[in-house]
Order: sequence, then C-alpha cells, then structure tokens
Amino acid sequence: MQTEATPAQADVSELDLVKRCQAGDTEAFNELVTRYRTRIFGMIYNMVHSEQDAWDLAQDSFVKAWKSIKRFRGHSSFYTWIYRIVMNVTIDWLRKKQVKGECGEFDDAIQLKEIDPASKTVPKADALPYETMKRSEIRARIENAIAQLSPEHRAVILMKEIEEMQYHEIAETLRCSIGTVMSRLFYARKKLQNLLKDVYENI
Amino acid sequence: MRTFEQKWTAWLDGQLSGSELTEFEASLPDKAAAEAEKANAKKLGALLKREIGAHGLANEEFFSHQLRERIARESARPSRERDGGVSTWWTIRRLLWTGTASLAVFLAFAIFVMHDKNPAEQSQYLTQILNARVDPVVSPNATISMFEAKEDRVTVLWTEGLQSLPADYAAK
Repeated sequence: MQTEATPAQADVSELDLVKRCQAGDTEAFNELVTRYRTRIFGMIYNMVHSEQDAWDLAQDSFVKAWKSIKRFRGHSSFYTWIYRIVMNVTIDWLRKKQVKGECGEFDDAIQLKEIDPASKTVPKADALPYETMKRSEIRARIENAIAQLSPEHRAVILMKEIEEMQYHEIAETLRCSIGTVMSRLFYARKKLQNLLKDVYENI
Repeated sequence: MRTFEQKWTAWLDGQLSGSELTEFEASLPDKAAAEAEKANAKKLGALLKREIGAHGLANEEFFSHQLRERIARESARPSRERDGGVSTWWTIRRLLWTGTASLAVFLAFAIFVMHDKNPAEQSQYLTQILNARVDPVVSPNATISMFEAKEDRVTVLWTEGLQSLPADYAAK
C-alpha cells in the first residue's frame, strides 16, 4: 500500500513511530499522520462525497487514533488498525445521517470545484473543456451510484477496488468474516454494474 | 462451505485455484456469459480506480496543523474531565446533594406558607387581569384592567385612554 512517506521518513519504521506515540511523542504521531492523511482523506471522501465532511471525519479519526494508540498491540499493521478506526467513524456517521434522513447524494460545491482546471482531480494539462466536463459528469455518475450503496457495501468496494486491499485485510478492518466481505463485494459490484453499465461500456 | 456469491467473487478476483476453480467453472450454466460478466466487473473496477482513485487533500499542512492543535487542546484538559468514571461519580454526588437541598428548601417554604395566614397582608383583590383587548389603531394609549374585590363581591373594569367603548364591552 502506498503512503506519502519520503525516503527519510521511510527509514523510520512504522513500529518505532507507534512506540514513540505510545510514549506520548506527538511528533511521531505527526509523522504517521503525514504518511496516511491523503489516503485516509481520499477514502473517506469516496464514502461521503463531501470535502468538508471528509475533512472533519479524517480529523476525528486521527484524534481517536491518538487517544487509543496505547491500546495498539501490533497484531495487525498500523495501517489496518487506523483504517478500522476510520471505517468505524465514517460508517457510524453515515448511519446517523441515514437515520436523520439527510443522505444527499453528493454536494454541489464539489461538483463545481471539479470543473476547476487547477483541481487535482483532473489532468494537469491538455484537458479540453469538453473532456473536463465529460470526466466531471462521469465522476458524478459514479459518486451517485456509490451513494446508493449501504455504508458497509461502499466500504468493501472502495477498499477492494481503490485501495486494492486483500479480503483478509478488509475483514480485519471491518471486523467481519472473509465470507461476509466476499458476499458484500458480490452485491456491491452487481449494483454498481447495473447503475454504471452505460458508463464503463462507452469509455 | 462457501455460498455461490462468495465463490463468484473469489472467481472474479482470481482467488479460486485447483479443484475449487474447476468445480466452480463446471457448475456455471453459461460459461461465456459468466466470462462476459467477469470482463464487465474488471471494467467497473478499472473505471472506479481511474475516476475516483486519487482525490487529493488540499491544504495538507493545515490539516496536520489543525490536528496538532486539537490534540494539544484535548491533552491539556484536566484529567478529571478525561476520566469518565470520576466525572460521573461527581455528577451523581452533586445531583444527590442538590436534590436533597432543594427538597429541604421546598418543605421549609411550604410549612411557612401553610402557617402564615395573616389576611391583612393579602391583597383585597382576587384577580387582576391585564390583557387589554383594545384595537391599538383606534385607541393607541388605551389600557384595560379588571379587578374582582372579594369582600364586596364586585368586579371592576378600569379603562384608561379609550377613544370609544368597544362593542364587546357594551352593557346589555
């Protein structure tokens, strides 16, 4: 799994950083945050489709991780451990939002921002306005389709297809069996295939 | 024992091998359709990866700065606040004390009121109604007060500033 670590940072093993965090070293925790913040933010964004909410949820997840770092025993990788926290925080948030009936599909502010040629989500150069618009539309279709999945189904499909995590890693993160992960993947894929058939067949 | 859905997923992701793979493929009623479905699933995966795979975090340094500040703020809180058990104990104890004190004050007040029946200190009026029902446009400065004198068993309607008497108050 890729991280943001620079070569110098990579020299410091994750386990050393975790041990320093457990001793109360906030600088070590900051290094771990630097390694994972973009990936974690991206993952949460793909779950909630709002930059502001993703930012807040990523902050909450890291704070929760800091508070419970002493309980990390190293049975799994730090990445899996923090992903478990991220998923708990995000799925809880989505469930509460569903209960309140606030589940919008995606926010308009992001849609407008995506058209901005300076945005990181579009190619840096040579993108024609039509292509930019087309990509924006495709992205909106995908986000709309993902928004129709349950939080658990969203989590498995994103961890498998975007994060390229193995079944056992997903199961560990979501604290469920590998069989459950496979079943959820089956239904999530079926639903997305139905919703996005015209998109992936015409590209 | 895996379900069909689980085997199908494993087959799509290339996780079936050996006899399991042979058995599963043999159980498929239409192998060509299944292969087409597999290709579609791959296309879907590639589409997701390409289109939503890299949503960057703007202001990364600010993100970390905000997080450091939040952690520092939360770490600086008194241990009493962080310790849920102690906090709950104090709350319960304080509630008990407050409840007991309130009950004592209430009882003392009730006894005082019950025993204090000096009519001289009471108002000679039982009710005083101050809701004036006057049209503010017609009589902007009007006020109406109603008194009921207990001793005399009469009701007094006191009006001030009326331009005209409302129809509701006309004597019948």
